[in-house]
Amino acid sequence: MTTKDKYKKVAYYPGCALEGTGHAYNRSTKAIGKKLGLDLVEVKNWNCCGAMEVKNVDPKLQTYLSSRVMSVAANEMDMDVVMAPCNGCYHNLKKAEYDLKNDKESVEVVDRLSKKAGHKTYESGQVETIHALDWIKDAIGEDGLRERVKNSLSGIKVANYYGCMYTRPRHIFPEKDAGPGSESTSKPHFMDDLLAAAGAENVDFPLKTACCGGAHTLSDSDTSTKLVLNILKAAKLAGADVIATECPTCHTGLEMHQIRAEKRLGVKVEIKILYFTQLLGMALGLKPKKVGVHENISSSLSFLKERGLA
Amino acid sequence: MPIHEKSLIRPENLKTHDSLILDGVDVSGHWSTFIESRVVADYNEAIEDEIAALPGGEHIHRCWQCGSCTNSCTVNAINPDFNPRYWIYLIRMGMESELLRDKDIIWQCVSCNKCTYACPRDVFPEGVMKATSHWLELKGHTPKSPSMHFDEVFTEQIVKTGKIEESRTIRRFFQRTNQGLLQDWMLEMVKQLLRGLPIGLLTRMGLATFVAPRTSNWSRASAAMQEYIDEQHEKQEEALSLAQLVKAAQEDVAA
Repeated sequence: MTTKDKYKKVAYYPGCALEGTGHAYNRSTKAIGKKLGLDLVEVKNWNCCGAMEVKNVDPKLQTYLSSRVMSVAANEMDMDVVMAPCNGCYHNLKKAEYDLKNDKESVEVVDRLSKKAGHKTYESGQVETIHALDWIKDAIGEDGLRERVKNSLSGIKVANYYGCMYTRPRHIFPEKDAGPGSESTSKPHFMDDLLAAAGAENVDFPLKTACCGGAHTLSDSDTSTKLVLNILKAAKLAGADVIATECPTCHTGLEMHQIRAEKRLGVKVEIKILYFTQLLGMALGLKPKKVGVHENISSSLSFLKERGLA
Repeated sequence: MPIHEKSLIRPENLKTHDSLILDGVDVSGHWSTFIESRVVADYNEAIEDEIAALPGGEHIHRCWQCGSCTNSCTVNAINPDFNPRYWIYLIRMGMESELLRDKDIIWQCVSCNKCTYACPRDVFPEGVMKATSHWLELKGHTPKSPSMHFDEVFTEQIVKTGKIEESRTIRRFFQRTNQGLLQDWMLEMVKQLLRGLPIGLLTRMGLATFVAPRTSNWSRASAAMQEYIDEQHEKQEEALSLAQLVKAAQEDVAA
């Protein structure tokens, strides 16, 4: 089976954020899946992957949590691909996969906890974890998108923001940096490719993989605000109208600290923030409400109307 | 030009005198500024092993001080005192008092993993930062950082229910760190969100604050994880000889 066919039906792991503040990402991912004829089967009775917090209490606990999600997909649903749109989930599943392949102690802890919890232990290699970007890139591709675009994003200048967890650390992403066609960890381009296929004009954005301070959004808000301001200002300077995101933590972080910067530092950076799935969805002819534009904190409806997308 | 990563001369160690004559020589003014030397006499050779015993710190011994971590660090760019390379050096040398000068900022690592990406020796500096801030808290050098409070609130909820419900986590975190929930920017955020009238979303989030989303049949997993956490805490206490520390403190108080 080719990758293209393999990704036509995948186990979908939305994760906690996509049921709360990141619901617009959930809605838009499902909507474009439906529009493109791709089948998303939600992982049954899933649990949190551990996010960025559990590892600070104990990294192996996080490995267990992530492994349980993969175990359910593999052993209870008989799926071989798990698609996680959230960078945090995607990163943690990848990290668990790496640890279970390379670290004996992790295997022991996960096996012990899985047995006590009463489910099959996940074994490395049972499933392949992919991001929503891999999913569309491989199952549909740029050419496939170009054929299906109804409202071109032409004239919209986009800064593609990938954040930390999609590319770092390098060793948990063995398929990246693997020559032509593969994703790059230093200059990721999958989101750029997809949005360009939908007609958008990508600006040269140097802070693609900069950190938004998501881990300390609430515990060290001043640091996060400074980091987000860097990103917003750089995107603005690069000439972008919109920052496209592919992670709910980054997305909410940018929205929150855009407001916080204005309130606390008196610095206002006028730039729209949208999930890449929202932009793609509208390019495919979906209405803004269908892709959850009304669920974003920062309002971009008037901008979208101006550009003929709403 | 060499990279000027860190000056070891502290402003308070620079001594100038308006009028001072030493052995008949006038040494007043800036031209004869003295630099008071740093004296380190309290090497604590146990620190490296103790930090290596905490999760994340395992590979600290691999460091050969190239400075790639500090050079790539997100936090260092906004606060030059945040210096992973230097802290790893101090830990490996056992220079405890020097390390403690920075004890209140080490927890501010944002886990962006740029250091781990750049490190040629697989030290995993991000993990070392977490282990170090954990060590400072366990040894009683610093109170629990806001970040650790957040991690604990978060983990407790997952162990209990299997899932995170954001508003509950945020509320508990603000409670535990004695902050008001009604920050001006939070209110503004809610106001802006309401403008779009996301009725479905609000209903869902509203319901979630009453009925926490949970993974079903979670109780066995929950018990297993709690047992594992307790076990790990015991191991860490032993590695850091915390029982002896408490005993010594009690004897001090008694005497």
